[in-house]
Amino acid sequence: MIRQSLGHIISCKDASRLVSRREDAPLSAWQRLVLRLHLSVCTACTRFERQIRFLRDAMHKYRQ
Amino acid sequence: MPNTDFSRDLDQHRGYLLRVARLHLRDEALAEDVVQETLLAALSGSGFSGKSSLRTWLTGILKHKIVDAIRKKQREPTVASAFGDIESEMDIEDFDAMFSERGGWDARPADWGDPEEALNLRQFLDMVDVCLEKLPPNTARVFMMREVMELETDEICKELAINANNLWVILYRARMALRQCLEQNWFARKGAPA
Repeated sequence: MIRQSLGHIISCKDASRLVSRREDAPLSAWQRLVLRLHLSVCTACTRFERQIRFLRDAMHKYRQ
Repeated sequence: MPNTDFSRDLDQHRGYLLRVARLHLRDEALAEDVVQETLLAALSGSGFSGKSSLRTWLTGILKHKIVDAIRKKQREPTVASAFGDIESEMDIEDFDAMFSERGGWDARPADWGDPEEALNLRQFLDMVDVCLEKLPPNTARVFMMREVMELETDEICKELAINANNLWVILYRARMALRQCLEQNWFARKGAPA
């Protein structure tokens, strides 16, 4: 129960922004924490995170 | 003719270099010039050491030529800037529409299955091209600088005279748009379960 509410300190919208930002700049300790908590309860954002990482792999491939 | 084989090798990469230059400069003639200069520099310069792949090495030269071309354009105030108003592409609000008022996904990201398999398909990389072309010009440029030319964020900020926050917003837009485009045009079509 508590984990669920901790997971919603930030919204999916916020999480998507953090996931993107993490590709370019380190997140603060707080940001890392709330993002991890959110991802632990949100399958949609977990998918999103994987897809953003895949995008980076795709661009590596594109470069080749 | 010691350079014949090498120049033939280089020519194989012309198409790729043109694609990158075109996406970045949005000016066909300028893109061709820049690629030409790149290939000439590759042929006549200090030589390819073979440490990285040929394409990686060429991309490095291309990067410098593109940056030079941009700098040159910025110094010509009478020439209408090909770069337009970068500020108009900085509004993050457009992608707020993908979320409900409470911040949840309006359309949840679909299951892409095992996307790595797609990386081996020529058609997939073509689709990546199509999706990149759909991006607004400045967004595409910035994304290319970061993900293809692998410039550091502060290099990009300096080059384009924007701050880090602006940069993150633009990259966020690029990633959101690309993800959605690839989902709609590739992964959803392949019958992956939602």
